[in-house]
Amino acid sequence: MTEMSTTKDRPILLDVKDLKTYFFQRRGVLKAVDGVNFTVRAGESVGLVGESGSGKSMTCLSIMRLVPKPAARIVEGQILFNGQDLLSIDESDMREYRGSKIAMVMQDPQTSMNPVFTVGNQVEEPIKLHLKERGAQAMQRVLDALRAVRIPSPEDRVKQYPHQFSGGMRQRVVAAMGLATSPELLVADEPTTSLDVTIQAQFLGLIRDIQKEHGTSVIWVTHDLGIVAQMCDRVNVMYAGRIVESAEVQKIYKDPQHPYTKALLDSVPVMGARRPRLYQIDGQPPDLRSIPTGCSFWPRCPAAMDICKTEYPPATHLGGDDFVHCWLAEK
Amino acid sequence: MAVSEPLLEVEGLVKHFPGPSNLLQQSSVLVKAVDGVSFTVDEGTTFALVGESGCGKTTVAKNVLLLERPTAGVIKFRGKDINRLNRRDLKEYKHTVQAVFQDPYSSLNPRMQVKDIIGEPLRVHEGMRGRRLQTRVAELLDNVGLNPVTGSFFPHQFSGGQRQRIAIARALALQPKLIVLDEPVSGLDVSIRAQILNLLVDLQEEFGLSYLLISHDLAIVEHMSHRVGVMYVGKMVELSEKEDMYSDAVHPYTKALLASVPRPNPDIAMGLTISGEVASPINPPTGCRFHPRCPIYQDSPECRDVQPEWDQVAPLHWSACHKVKP
Repeated sequence: MTEMSTTKDRPILLDVKDLKTYFFQRRGVLKAVDGVNFTVRAGESVGLVGESGSGKSMTCLSIMRLVPKPAARIVEGQILFNGQDLLSIDESDMREYRGSKIAMVMQDPQTSMNPVFTVGNQVEEPIKLHLKERGAQAMQRVLDALRAVRIPSPEDRVKQYPHQFSGGMRQRVVAAMGLATSPELLVADEPTTSLDVTIQAQFLGLIRDIQKEHGTSVIWVTHDLGIVAQMCDRVNVMYAGRIVESAEVQKIYKDPQHPYTKALLDSVPVMGARRPRLYQIDGQPPDLRSIPTGCSFWPRCPAAMDICKTEYPPATHLGGDDFVHCWLAEK
Repeated sequence: MAVSEPLLEVEGLVKHFPGPSNLLQQSSVLVKAVDGVSFTVDEGTTFALVGESGCGKTTVAKNVLLLERPTAGVIKFRGKDINRLNRRDLKEYKHTVQAVFQDPYSSLNPRMQVKDIIGEPLRVHEGMRGRRLQTRVAELLDNVGLNPVTGSFFPHQFSGGQRQRIAIARALALQPKLIVLDEPVSGLDVSIRAQILNLLVDLQEEFGLSYLLISHDLAIVEHMSHRVGVMYVGKMVELSEKEDMYSDAVHPYTKALLASVPRPNPDIAMGLTISGEVASPINPPTGCRFHPRCPIYQDSPECRDVQPEWDQVAPLHWSACHKVKP
């Protein structure tokens, strides 16, 4: 996007270092997140892109410290938020961050709201909890939050229940809940997958406006390369629990470095491109219980070499915050 | 591309359902799921119905598959009304028209081996048994890119993409002419989608298949289809050749739909979006159903009160809009 050139000089808000989140199962250890490194700068929109099972959602849940217990555990790493390691603080201190400084919008607006409480009640909750406001003052903030996400006549709407809202409106209410406390970081985990395309366009525009106004940083989790291109300053491509490439949005679409990124971009139908045939990545993403040795993509990689099969490629830095994990780039 | 007689003709299709009712009282309202839709599918081509949820595209598909009976209108296959076929022709029709559905997890019986899933239509319709059946099933598995030894596996042993291949093999078993594809890749991952879309294109060429593709994904529709019909709340608003639709759309809804797609190119910004929600097929808006959201409506009483008629705006290109006339 246009502001892109400026975000890379801004201070780092979130710094995820060597994050590992594993599931311990009877059948073995499932390495959902296996050494993830990335940063989010103030006001920056960062995309986590990948297919299902690539670890993008689990990375977000790890940042929120909401990984499903006891099945999963964060076994290693640091999550520095304004320099404070979120993994080393008490659960009670974490509550000061969760919902107030870091908010999350989940995929399904159906299940992220409580059906037996009014919408007003639910939007008010984070305001009461984190801003310690009550009564008319809190209600004013609720109405402002709903107005900010363009809910018409919020005075009447606060008394209604979630089932009286359409899917698109519900997702906007969930966004209002997240944004009511003016968080510094919004984690959006596939927030538009259940929305129709015109409603999705409305939601994307809304988040972009709010971001422009408040300078909120956003992590976009998605498998949709279109949303990433439209919404993000930086893109992190995930495969089998790791980030294989990180680059500014312009660079990744024009000159992708990792063979997986290239393949992903060539495998989607693009409107107006008139591709005669889609590039086809053969095979399946690996089973996370038995990730191939070396680079996890090599069995599907058209450019695999001998070294790829034995050793995981280190990060090759490409200037700025950009990096790629590939033996080809290493040469 | 166009041949003399279309394979499938849908003329003025109407399907109304009774609205939501409660225990005590039958509902008096009607859900007008499909309200006068016409199009044709030519042999060897793909016709796509595109639209947002509730526009009636799946209801059209169900009528074509004889899973629903139309309230009004006619569906003709090779010139014969499919709802008035005699027994022999009906059996023939069910041979010739097959379907692949969205969810490969619920469309395959988890207790059946793959070779029985694919072999069932052959046993039932053609009485195939023994060695001949085995050979044919192996051939079908090979057609969709699966190893024939996987025939003895159960569906849970396959990934989503492989299951969709099994569903396609089952659809191919009776050598159909027309396959209804209802959101065939929306449940699949990006890299697997490409595999399935390429497979469908290859099979179309190899077997001369026609597809009726139901999808909400405009990029996939552009990639796959020859002709496109855009639906909004039970009505078709625009119908044309694929190329015209994507370069010279005339209906404001089609334009809005195309502008709403986030392009995977940071240099092409999203176009102007439209406000409001998709209208409900229960009590749809009067006149043009799109008028409450239409960017060029401008309080025109015509749009508000009169249903727009079809206008031919170019050869093989129709649109139903009061404001955009040829």
